[in-house]
Amino acid sequence: MTLSAAPSSRARTLRQRARRNRLRRLPAHLLVALLLLVVIGPLVWLLLGSFKTQREFLDEPVWALPTQWNFDNYVTAWTTGNFSQYVLNSVISVFPALFLMLLLGSAAGFALEVLVWKGRNGVLLLFLAGIMVPLQMILLPLFTVYFQTGLTGTLWPLVITYTAAGLPLTVFLMAAYFRAVPREVFEAAALDGAGVIRAFFLIGLPMMRNAVFTVGLVQFFFYWNDLLIALTFTNSGSLRTLQVGLLNFTGQFGTVEYGPLFAAICINVFSMLVIYLVLNQRIQKGLVAGSVKG
Amino acid sequence: MKQVLGDKRAILTLVGPALIVYTVVMLVPVMWSLGYTFFDGNAITGFRFTGLDNFTRLWEDTKVHDAFVFTLKYAAVVTVGQVLIGYGLALLYVFVLRRYSATVRTLLFFPIVLPTVAVGLLFQQLFSIAPQTGPVNSFLNMLGFASIDWFGDGGSAFVVIAVMDIWRSMGFYGVLLYAGLVDIPEDVLEAARTDGAGPLRLVRHVVLPLSWPVLVSAVIFSINGTLKVFDSIMALTDGGPGTSTSPLTLYMFQTSFTYGDYGYGSSVALLLTLLCLVVTVFIFRASRRDLTKG
Amino acid sequence: MASPGTIFRAATLAVAGTTVFALTACTGGGGAEHSEFSLLINTENNEIPSVLTTLSEGVCSDQNNALPLEVETVPQTNLDQQLQLLAGQGDLPVLYSAGNAPALTEELADSGHVMDFEESLTDLGVIDRVEPAAISTIENLYGGFHVLPFEYNIEGIWYNKALFEEHDLAVPETWDELVAAAQTFSDAGVLPFSASGEQGWPITRFIGNYLYRDLGPDAMERIESGEAELDDPEYVRAAQAVADLGEAGFFEEGVGSIDMDTSTHQFLTGDAAMFYMGSWALSDFNNEEGNDIGAENIGFMPFPEVEGGEGNSDQLAANVGLPVTMNAQALNEDTGSWMSCIVENYGTTGLEQENRISGFTLGEEPEGVPQLTQDVQELVTDTDETVLWFEALFSTEATDTSQSNAAPLVTGSLTPEEFMTFVQADLF
Repeated sequence: MTLSAAPSSRARTLRQRARRNRLRRLPAHLLVALLLLVVIGPLVWLLLGSFKTQREFLDEPVWALPTQWNFDNYVTAWTTGNFSQYVLNSVISVFPALFLMLLLGSAAGFALEVLVWKGRNGVLLLFLAGIMVPLQMILLPLFTVYFQTGLTGTLWPLVITYTAAGLPLTVFLMAAYFRAVPREVFEAAALDGAGVIRAFFLIGLPMMRNAVFTVGLVQFFFYWNDLLIALTFTNSGSLRTLQVGLLNFTGQFGTVEYGPLFAAICINVFSMLVIYLVLNQRIQKGLVAGSVKG
Repeated sequence: MKQVLGDKRAILTLVGPALIVYTVVMLVPVMWSLGYTFFDGNAITGFRFTGLDNFTRLWEDTKVHDAFVFTLKYAAVVTVGQVLIGYGLALLYVFVLRRYSATVRTLLFFPIVLPTVAVGLLFQQLFSIAPQTGPVNSFLNMLGFASIDWFGDGGSAFVVIAVMDIWRSMGFYGVLLYAGLVDIPEDVLEAARTDGAGPLRLVRHVVLPLSWPVLVSAVIFSINGTLKVFDSIMALTDGGPGTSTSPLTLYMFQTSFTYGDYGYGSSVALLLTLLCLVVTVFIFRASRRDLTKG
Repeated sequence: MASPGTIFRAATLAVAGTTVFALTACTGGGGAEHSEFSLLINTENNEIPSVLTTLSEGVCSDQNNALPLEVETVPQTNLDQQLQLLAGQGDLPVLYSAGNAPALTEELADSGHVMDFEESLTDLGVIDRVEPAAISTIENLYGGFHVLPFEYNIEGIWYNKALFEEHDLAVPETWDELVAAAQTFSDAGVLPFSASGEQGWPITRFIGNYLYRDLGPDAMERIESGEAELDDPEYVRAAQAVADLGEAGFFEEGVGSIDMDTSTHQFLTGDAAMFYMGSWALSDFNNEEGNDIGAENIGFMPFPEVEGGEGNSDQLAANVGLPVTMNAQALNEDTGSWMSCIVENYGTTGLEQENRISGFTLGEEPEGVPQLTQDVQELVTDTDETVLWFEALFSTEATDTSQSNAAPLVTGSLTPEEFMTFVQADLF
């Protein structure tokens, strides 16, 4: 009796504890469900809205499902709403800036961390100061300069400003990443007759492939989502980037055309989602690194 | 040995381009902008030296006072919200969900990569009252409450702005702070548990002190971002109704580009820069003192 | 409703000439050489682009071949900012909307960006094709003949005749009667006034008109000269009267989110009984598609009188709309030829096609003009004393402050005193 009772009672307590555990975790699970609903709900509603017609928006309850599943609103946003142009403008201004900024930034990070020279700490601090300064501080003079050099009316002001605005964080992060590599590696390469510059391109840069990619990813979001710089330096409808175009979207039609507006927001949101689905781990790591070290 | 990595020409080639771009596009404009603060006028009408007039005006301008107060209020509320909820999420990830937290983390993190303009327009629709009732008001109606004209009053518009920015970034701060929490050694926690520490005491006496540095850097990062808020408010309320949700950044942009007063705009930008600097230094020092005390 | 087709067409036109090579074409910035007859106009204005497009395909096709018309739009709330940006860069198009505040136009004129039409239209020999009354209105507002009267408007309250009959109401002639009528509608579940709080000005127009009726036609000049201030009690009274309308619930809930087209829509579907608007809305009223109540069902009442006030309701509020002006630096043979063609033909085409009453004389009697338009045209001819609007003499900043605070005033989140004090503070 006692022999058989002991295990069964232990099993009972175990089972009870498990149930208690499950019960104790219930609030947590409810909380998680609520959180996911709060974050994902609006996006689902957005997606549904992008299929609705103007009538459905104005006459049907907000929860109603769309009655048709065609891409009319997307076509309208893409063509009449000029989104093809805006996406192109964003691509033309963001990617060259990204490339230039990564090249200049990692070279500078290398020179500041690996190479040995007087004043490098001072220069690093100088770059660091740039992380603090609000961009508002540089808009007006740049505006004047771009005008006087005849660059307004093109996308060059965006490329140039993005490149410079991204440098401080990139230089800082790249310097931090290079710190982890023993200096001897580069010394040996340089002594082998490669020269310092070749050592950077042939060894330093390939070794930092991952770091460069992560930093580039972080900066990509900053550039792609930027409104302030794009709004200041795009002086005509044909130069608008995706964000400026979206901000002016309702104006484009004179009245709020909800379907195309939702489709336009969707284009913006779900293109990011695709990138995020593929690269979410790196994006999380990158953004977190960018903020902790900044 | 050192000489190889001290090659002057290589240093110049590597750090030179970045430094030049950074100096020309960021440092010089900052100085130039400082110069503007002593002038009145714009690129159309030309400039006129006015000495310290802009600063006296800054001191007396009620709109600047309002914008200044709004900026601080917004930064305080959103920073506290972001970091607190983020910390709550991090605790949830580490102590409740544990190994199963990756999916939740990834999903909740997503909104931070979305363009703020898109999120702003989305929230405009979520909280809309006219011409059609948005989901939030529909939900209120369902519960038997009357619809709220969220954007008709500065106070409720502020609520929407804060909710939106916390919605966007809580997942990000969750991951950021999670990174600090997972570093806490398991045996430290186990030791505290065997000492009979309940969950609350565990957090208060063990987890909080150990994650303090990453918490402080999260606060500094958050406050730096929220003091410079522009995109989200521009897209959501455009500073309205009236100017009741205009932060300094928006006021600076309007002063410069809508009212064509570059000098005064630069003065507002300078005020913003100083504010960022002072607040950051203050938090940094305050947190240090606390840490030595605790 | 304004036909979306027009807007789509304008939007398509705006991108037609743009290229993907924007990056390489980096010679922008030059002011004088225009390869298009470019027009920058606020998005809300569909008529001018549409009439100009008609002209470019018809009587002005020669000019259009030499210098093709190109329309670009910007939301009215962003217009002033855009003009400042473009002027700063010397990049203003040939024709452009002249800014929300006449003060901005004057500033642009001072820096040589605005055409003196007195001189140029005389040189072109077409000055006699502009109504003298329109020129004088423009000179009063802008300190010179600086804008083109593509529109010449009177403003007042348009009302739904059927709704007034149904509720057995006479057309109000005094402010108190107006309020009483609004109360009747409100009690019956009909929205008394539809107005766009997003734009703001349809609400501040009430304040301006009240001031002119109460204090006389020189009410706003006294503010401009500094003789009086907006936070003086007799001025605050007007803001109070309008705030009371809001408090009584005579405007739509969430009026701050109502855009222009929605407010027009509410009136034209019979949801709202009254609609303060200028005569430019005739084109919407006469457009059968989108007008459920029918043009014959719409009446015009001049803004009612205020008991014991010094103004009267014969003094109609008049304006030239948000006018278009020409970049002084863009005048050359091609653009001059375009100008002449527009001045000679806009009046008739505008009236026939868009029911738009302009300040250009009619070349030949237009055909098929609806009754409502004819009535308004006669009213214009009969009017000899006009008044301006609330913000007419304000700076850009004060105009902005006034219009963006209009919705808070009627929703009660700003008191009338606060409203007037804010605007006064930004006046100069």
